[in-house]
Amino acid sequence: MKKWKTLLASAGLFALMASVPAVAQDVPPITEFPREQTMIVHNPENPAINPDWFNLWVAGHGGGTSTGLHQLVTDTLWYIDPNAGIDGSLYSSLAAEPWSYNDDFTEMTVKLREGLYWSDGVEFTAADVVYTVETLKAHSAFGASANLNRHVASVEAVDDHTVLFKLNAPNSRFHSAFAVRWNAAWIMPKHIFEQHENPTEFDFNPPVGLGPYTLNSYDPNGAWYIWEKREDWERTSVAQYGEPGPQYIIYRSIPNIDNRLIEMVNGNLDMIHDLTPEAMFSLVQQDETARGWFPGFPFAHPDPTLPAIILNNQNELFSDRRVRWALTLMLDARQISMASYRGAATLSPIAIPPTGTHLDDYHSQLQDWLIDFELDTGSSVIKPYDPDIGLQVAEMVRPQFGDQVPTDPNEIRRAFGFGWWGQNLEAAAELLEDAGFTRQGNDWYTPNGERFAFTLKTFESGVINRFGTMAAQQWTQAGVQVDVEVDPVIFPTSMPLGDFDALTAWTIESWGGDPDLSFFLDSWHSEFLVEPGERQSPRNFQRFEHPELDRIIEEVRVTEFGTPENLALGHEFARLMVEEMPLIPMMSYNVFAAYSERYWTGFPDAVERPYANPVTNWANSRYIFTQVEPAQ
Amino acid sequence: MRDYLTFVLKRLVQLAAVVFAGISAAFFITHMSPISPVEMIVGRVAAQASFSPQALQDLREALTELFAADLPLHIKYLNFWARFVVGDLGPSLIAFPTPAMQLVMRALPWTVGLLAVAIVMSWTIGNLLGGLAGYYQNNRFLKAFGVVAMGIQPIPYYIVAFLLVLIFGYFWPVLPISGGFAMNVRPGFTMEYILSILHHSILPAASLVIVGLGISFLGMRALVSNIVTEDYVTYAELAGVKSERVVFFYVIRNAAVPQLTGLAMALGGIFSGTIITEQVFGYPGLGTLLVTAVNGGDTTLVLAVSSMAVVAVASAIFVIDLLHPLLDPRVRVK
Repeated sequence: MKKWKTLLASAGLFALMASVPAVAQDVPPITEFPREQTMIVHNPENPAINPDWFNLWVAGHGGGTSTGLHQLVTDTLWYIDPNAGIDGSLYSSLAAEPWSYNDDFTEMTVKLREGLYWSDGVEFTAADVVYTVETLKAHSAFGASANLNRHVASVEAVDDHTVLFKLNAPNSRFHSAFAVRWNAAWIMPKHIFEQHENPTEFDFNPPVGLGPYTLNSYDPNGAWYIWEKREDWERTSVAQYGEPGPQYIIYRSIPNIDNRLIEMVNGNLDMIHDLTPEAMFSLVQQDETARGWFPGFPFAHPDPTLPAIILNNQNELFSDRRVRWALTLMLDARQISMASYRGAATLSPIAIPPTGTHLDDYHSQLQDWLIDFELDTGSSVIKPYDPDIGLQVAEMVRPQFGDQVPTDPNEIRRAFGFGWWGQNLEAAAELLEDAGFTRQGNDWYTPNGERFAFTLKTFESGVINRFGTMAAQQWTQAGVQVDVEVDPVIFPTSMPLGDFDALTAWTIESWGGDPDLSFFLDSWHSEFLVEPGERQSPRNFQRFEHPELDRIIEEVRVTEFGTPENLALGHEFARLMVEEMPLIPMMSYNVFAAYSERYWTGFPDAVERPYANPVTNWANSRYIFTQVEPAQ
Repeated sequence: MRDYLTFVLKRLVQLAAVVFAGISAAFFITHMSPISPVEMIVGRVAAQASFSPQALQDLREALTELFAADLPLHIKYLNFWARFVVGDLGPSLIAFPTPAMQLVMRALPWTVGLLAVAIVMSWTIGNLLGGLAGYYQNNRFLKAFGVVAMGIQPIPYYIVAFLLVLIFGYFWPVLPISGGFAMNVRPGFTMEYILSILHHSILPAASLVIVGLGISFLGMRALVSNIVTEDYVTYAELAGVKSERVVFFYVIRNAAVPQLTGLAMALGGIFSGTIITEQVFGYPGLGTLLVTAVNGGDTTLVLAVSSMAVVAVASAIFVIDLLHPLLDPRVRVK
């Protein structure tokens, strides 16, 4: 007996000794870098599976992108911010000025900024741009290769700081290849890559960039990357907006949401890419330095994309706009907002995300039209728009969140949405009856006598899942039999193959900071629409076609970016989408990005400083670092 | 001896057959995935940039050719075995053009290190305490430990892991909750690096040990409870053999044989990684690699991980099979 007791005592002592080093200190230090000089940012990617790889031009390289690499090191000609920007949403970065096309959009001339240097001291010139385009074109393993081959006939350096692109066909939006929304084609250092016979097999480690930071060190397991400010940061394109505040920036991958919250509360994280709604509410309660995009509820940043119910318009069930409208009027947006985002949704009645400058360009300007919009149900004419639904949602969450919910109606509209389509089961019934549907008891039947039933596919979890589940529940209560099916391959398989009746997903990615809709809209032209069962190229996944839509797209193609004509065409698109309702827009994709003002201040927010998207994996978040200052 | 060699030979053939069948099954199951790596990349590119539909189609065709994704399945199968026998499974499709085995070998030491220690610790402590609890059935401490083990054992692993994160990361923040080692430590064969790894492995290892301990404890206690009623144990006690000798050499030793099989299989299973542990604690390893490969439709990488797991489990069982006749005289080679 004595021996095993001794053994147990030894084991206990060993365990105690093992815990001593941990107990003897406070919160474990994660870095040797002075905290007042160091910003720690959450990278939403899982730890890179190929962490030594920095050649981010290769398609599917596995080396991590949002590790700080495409925020702090790489650079390209232009950035279009999804929000207001520091000095307007269009940044001329490596370019000295906006793009310039010839009259028929077959040539684009780019003036480059002078005095920029690669991080190894070599001067940036037009030769780098020419080399990048030619190299990307020559190797199909580069992600941008196909796009450049499709559009670029030739590229030449007119002089050291002027590049001329000759295009294969007229293309008024070719600049988007080098204009960052989330990312774009980055410029390669010619003097580095030309040393490698096959540039697709070069790991580009350590990376040499035009951005204001260089690689200090990284985790060989891909969980963190540490970047250090260049001594010659003034010779980079961001210098025009000031000196980046942090001497060091650390990007950390933290897959577990609870750990992100805990790390911020413990002072080990300054910016979080995303949390669940519940985690965000918890964070702001527990950490007085924690902030979101909105100063109060709903906190989240509306990203420029639109969670919606995508109806398969090639499915006969949804080929009649009256049916699509009836389904819309069966929905209660307030319940969907509460179910999906716990009320923290920014609702959108139109097929344009309510975010960035779109709120002013579209949602505000179209309010009167929406209020006056009339819908003929076959039995009556109704005005289906309810401009106060955002206000109603705010009142629903006020008992729980109190002072955190804004009281100013205009502020509420910008945060919760301007309005949505009021639930109107009577009008929905009239529309269905007008379309030949019949009702037996509470159950609807199609004109050919079958039960009005379909399947709604949705994500496995998260807000999109909750949104889909609630919509299906409301339709079922209204007499349409809707089964919810969780589908893990919505984006790669079901959506492009048209293997769905209806689904919930995000769609309609826009620039956010510019009213131009070409980013998603050009691919909606009927020339790209395929037959049922064939793979539909992004982004017309609702497989909708309409002569008026084609006309709008064709006019956008020959209309300059940023002109009143371009905005007017955007309004026409929005109105057409309301009239036809080929998909049911619901809300912006609200990202619960958080930042802490414990060590740094000056982060962007919705009210005082809407200069950038605080969502950390966007490449244009690099401008944030020029605006922040140490808190003490 | 000749009988034993024949036995070894038979088991060797069995091992080869199991490995071939297991990896072949993994190959065909992997290729049934609805996720195409080409479409994953095209989808990602399309989501991030404004490419025309024609350009995306060009990209699709280029990647299909690059990944040889349009080859018939039987050709892919033959190509796979040709590569497998030389130990090169080809480039990963989600980390192109890096070899899949290179990614596996990078993650492997972390998984092996964490799991081997955790499994051996929980197996050793659990079996030791379980054996003692089965023999000294009136000991209050061991009774209490049994109650605790029975209480913890049914708790899902991820709940235990989350509780540890909350307790030691939030309420009493004394241990790191993310990563494999501290950022201020440079990797290398230094005491600082080794201590940092140990420090960061405390919580993930503890989560595995706490759950694994109960399983070993309860299994061993049940086995020993039966053995103590055997005649030879009673005779040994009546003959005046010391109780420590009875418990360790007469009882636990005999009860350990089936537990050893469990240990071998658990050690072989290491090569599948610990997905939840890695996700909860941001710990490096094969689990995250495997999940990323499955989600990305990277058949090469999935097969690299699963082939290693098949070979490891089959080899562990092979070794145990070979040891059994030596450890347990009741097992005959004929």
